[in-house]
Amino acid sequence: MGIRFNQVSYEYPSFAEGLYSAIRNINLEITEKNEFIALVGHTGSGKSTLAKHMNALIFPTSGSLEIYGNIITAKRNRKVKYNSIRKKVGLVFQFPEYQLFEETVEKDIMFGPMNFKITQEEAKKKAKEALNLVGLDDSYLSRNPYNLSGGEKKRVSIAGILAMDPDILILDEPTSGLDPAGRRVLMNLFQDINKKTGKTIVIITHDMDLVYQYFNRVLVLNDGNLIFDGEPEKLFRSEDLIKYHLDYPNTIKVLSHLNKELHLNLNIYQKTLEEALEEIKRGGLL
Amino acid sequence: MKSVIIGQYIPGKGLFYRLDPRTKIIAVLLIMIAVFLLESITHLLIGFGIAFMLLIIGRISVIKVIKGLKPIMILLIFTFIFQIILNREGEMIVNHEMYLTLYTALFLVLAFVVWRVLVKFTRFRFTMFFLFVAGVYLILRYVDFGYQLLSPFNFQVYEAGLRMSAFVVIRLLIIITLSTVLTLTTKPTNLTQGLEKLMHPLKKIGFNSEDFALIISISLRYIPTIFDEANKIMLAQASRGADFSEGKLKDKLKQVISLLVPMFIIAFMRSEELANAMESRNFVPGNKRTRINELIFSYRDVIATAFSVLVLALAIVLKVI
Repeated sequence: MGIRFNQVSYEYPSFAEGLYSAIRNINLEITEKNEFIALVGHTGSGKSTLAKHMNALIFPTSGSLEIYGNIITAKRNRKVKYNSIRKKVGLVFQFPEYQLFEETVEKDIMFGPMNFKITQEEAKKKAKEALNLVGLDDSYLSRNPYNLSGGEKKRVSIAGILAMDPDILILDEPTSGLDPAGRRVLMNLFQDINKKTGKTIVIITHDMDLVYQYFNRVLVLNDGNLIFDGEPEKLFRSEDLIKYHLDYPNTIKVLSHLNKELHLNLNIYQKTLEEALEEIKRGGLL
Repeated sequence: MKSVIIGQYIPGKGLFYRLDPRTKIIAVLLIMIAVFLLESITHLLIGFGIAFMLLIIGRISVIKVIKGLKPIMILLIFTFIFQIILNREGEMIVNHEMYLTLYTALFLVLAFVVWRVLVKFTRFRFTMFFLFVAGVYLILRYVDFGYQLLSPFNFQVYEAGLRMSAFVVIRLLIIITLSTVLTLTTKPTNLTQGLEKLMHPLKKIGFNSEDFALIISISLRYIPTIFDEANKIMLAQASRGADFSEGKLKDKLKQVISLLVPMFIIAFMRSEELANAMESRNFVPGNKRTRINELIFSYRDVIATAFSVLVLALAIVLKVI
């Protein structure tokens, strides 16, 4: 079960080149439980297009994908209930402005759950829970979503999807535009949800530090091709990262710089700052 | 949306692409006036021939123009039919007895079903529509047996009706062809620039043509952007369970609101950003601005203008005689 991509390609019509292919021949399997996946790649590499396929917002131009037993192909199928797929796989868009529309935060978060036929009271309860999960207190419930700061809007939009209680959660750059503290709060929240409920979470990000620290699987897209699928450490051990317009995490960069300049022999593969510091101490620098 | 040709610029080469937009606007205007002055059907047909010639001279694909006519076709057909049926002047040309019996009704339903099915599976929608209309006529005319639902009635076509309907349709065709040529071969920015220059003298009576042109070019520029945004919002809301192609009418109403509110907010945000960007590049409303591409009036434009003036003069002469 979960999501399975089978030779999925997607082409956009484009004026200059006729067809512009966003993703090409993607084969991929995402299980429904206990996965914590980072999706990385330079801008325009097809990350968002891939994410939109995962809850059947767009259909592949060729190939097929299977989402919880529903086969999605280029043609819309009357038998498939696309709405129920979106209940199971929640996708949070990058810009909250595209989804906030109600007068109060509470009503806006309730919009998603209410679309899936649950009672008002239940939806209210879920809205409150989801809002608290993303680190905003109850005073926000009655506020106007358009008067919030960028980071708060982002959290409300994430709460809007969390309240739907999807089995798989996909987030398109949830940490962009947030301060470092807010970034950590959200990443810890996602990790928490993943650990406690076992929901699979897919996160699109550019932050290699986050990728290295938090995730146990990373997908790398380059010009629409899936070129890497595996553990982050394996990715960072490879040499051709720069070729794909990606960067190494800061810990690796600092430690390898120290190794090079001071001719040390530190183990550069340290995930967190604390671990890096330990390694430096062990190397006798401090 | 993409199949709509009217008002769309298609890059290309040819005579009309090289003309000054001012020339094109004036020429189209003059020829249109001329078309309205014509009173006989032969003259109109000649006018139509000229319009067709212009297409060939400009090396504009006739197929593209015909495709562009498609949305207007319904309007043309309705004007044609109404003129024929309602206009009762002059000599009677056709007088057919029509019947509406039980069998006619049955055949009509059958024809309708066949038409709808064929439309679904074949590509020639308009041909099918004409065949359907012809079929309806034949059924009404010749199926005269069975229980009569209505007493027989007469289908009459009068000479004036036929003439007037042909007149209106050809006139509309010429006008649409000409304006399609104008928009097909002129970039929207050039078009507004041309309008701006042409309306410049109106400044004396308090009409600021530059502001007007700016408003038009900004709105044209933002149509695709807004469509893009609408699409994104639709996906974002579909992701929250508001799929526009599923669900009941009551739910759909709510979904439309969920689309419209972000739409307005984003449009306002965009416009504010645009205003800031323009101001930070020193745009001051009403100040004199220079252009990168100045319009040039060349010998071609002189010829084209002379041609259109000639056409108008001819039409006036014909009208007076």
